[in-house]
Amino acid sequence: MVRHLIVLLAALALGSCGGGSSPSTSTIAVTTTTSTTGPVATVNTAVVTVDAGPPALRAGSGGYSAFNEPYVTVTLCAPGSTTNCQTIDHVILDTGSVGLRIIASVLNPGLIAALPTETDAASNSVGECYQYVNSYAFGSVRTGDFSIAGEKVAAMPFQVIADTGRFAGVPPGCSSGGGSNIATVQDFGANGILGVGTTTTDCGTYCTVAGGSAGASYYDCPTAGCGDIIGRASNSAAPFEQLPNPVAAFPIDNNGVILALPAVPQRGVMTLAGTVIFGIGTQADNALAATNVLPVTTSSSRLGAGVLTATYNDKQLTQSFLDSGSNDYFFIDTALDPCTDTSLIAFYCPAAPTPLSPVLTATNGVTASGAFTLYSPLDVTGSSTVAPGLGINPTLVKPPLPFANSFDFGLPFFFGRTVYTAIEGRAAGGVQGPFFAF
Amino acid sequence: MPHRDLSATACLVVAALSLSSGAHAELGGPLASVESDRGRMNAQLASVSMGGYARHALTRANGGTVHEMTNADGQVFAVTWSGPGKPDLRALLGSHFAIFQAASGGTGSSGTAGGVGRAMHSLRRPPQVNEADLQIQAEGHMGWFRGMALIPSLAPTGFVASDLSKEP
Repeated sequence: MVRHLIVLLAALALGSCGGGSSPSTSTIAVTTTTSTTGPVATVNTAVVTVDAGPPALRAGSGGYSAFNEPYVTVTLCAPGSTTNCQTIDHVILDTGSVGLRIIASVLNPGLIAALPTETDAASNSVGECYQYVNSYAFGSVRTGDFSIAGEKVAAMPFQVIADTGRFAGVPPGCSSGGGSNIATVQDFGANGILGVGTTTTDCGTYCTVAGGSAGASYYDCPTAGCGDIIGRASNSAAPFEQLPNPVAAFPIDNNGVILALPAVPQRGVMTLAGTVIFGIGTQADNALAATNVLPVTTSSSRLGAGVLTATYNDKQLTQSFLDSGSNDYFFIDTALDPCTDTSLIAFYCPAAPTPLSPVLTATNGVTASGAFTLYSPLDVTGSSTVAPGLGINPTLVKPPLPFANSFDFGLPFFFGRTVYTAIEGRAAGGVQGPFFAF
Repeated sequence: MPHRDLSATACLVVAALSLSSGAHAELGGPLASVESDRGRMNAQLASVSMGGYARHALTRANGGTVHEMTNADGQVFAVTWSGPGKPDLRALLGSHFAIFQAASGGTGSSGTAGGVGRAMHSLRRPPQVNEADLQIQAEGHMGWFRGMALIPSLAPTGFVASDLSKEP
């Protein structure tokens, strides 16, 4: 079964080099929507597509297809220009990070040359290191006119990952946290990422003094290269120094996002289309209509921002979160069967669909069910690039080291749901952010 | 009893520090490396006896914490970290950093190019090491990271993994 899966996937990777996939040939097509007839975009609504990823991801010997990655298309223009612009597809819509980041090689040379870098007190260019749990991305901080749907931010700071020239060398302060260096579309699994999490900027107060170290770190970049970590203001309105949450930077609809994705059958599908709506309770189409409204931690929390508690197997996991940028559910349960095939290392392979019942507890004590059915990747059709209910054990250490404090509700949690992510310090639908709601 | 252990530990720390200032910290390294970490990270250091071992708590300038555990011989047998941003794991893990790096591949796949490996690609798959005598776990979310590294053979007799989160 696993081998069958591999063969099919290899065929998909090879066959996809010439261009887009052909979902209509799938025998397990979604009934609710298709890739070609997604919801109609309005001024505050954009289409979200979960598919095999951009052509550059699948090209060459190291190519592969994306899996459970929700993509949007954004537009970048040189500041003030309406002609030097580029539409960039396959940008991950991520409720688990903040800031716009684009792989340098994706950008047209004529555009990148017209995007000014931010400068620091020494009149040098500003670089940035952004850490993910298993990787880091280093590059320049440039400003450009950003838009998605009808929403726009003028001269918005964003990161150009793996930028060239003075930014080409990754400073030791960035790489010393460990993980792999993200420099290409294949490293990233996307052309870029649009972080629309619960904070207004990507680092907040942790980056305001020189020499610090944080999840996002800003660097002084003279001509010779980037070296020292510098402080950047944590302002939440223009002019920005740190990368803003692009949604928080919108003139309107700036209090959060609503991500709505259809349900997905167990065997998976090749493509899925949904919508992201900007703003909560700001227009006729984005009222807060959720059964569960769950406030989460703020930037000042000792647990980090944007987390709540998941109770699972009688354990209180106080750093849990909903994250469209995680491909699957990540949680520890040593009673579940691990997959034995080495290509499925760390996945759970339950012999039969297994109902699990994590309970979410918000910072105000409100609870909600996070229940779902755990499926086996062995039962996912080989050509699928979208599948529900898959779980990954974040540790192979037995017994697990006692740090297990997190239940990561990844993209499968969003299937068949409308999930609200409200930004810290902003009222959204009559409720003060930050919160998740669904 | 705890008081005597504490003062003994403090003396050990002072003695070790005065003997060596340039030692590079690392998991499996000497007690003196804890002080070099403190200096390098510009951190506050508080050492406390935990019974069969000592815990050295470093508070980083950004509020993040690093705990280094030393056994009776003064060897660092475990490191834990938590806070905004990752600490300098290259220094903290020392020679074990390369193993950690090898486990942190961008795709997280086992090398099945074009195969199921693509399903594992994730910015969010926590890196981990599960060797007979080296265990590392890490996790994180939106700029906030935690992790633990343990060398079981250097841990004091009776030490179990769950002790890593024990408070004094």
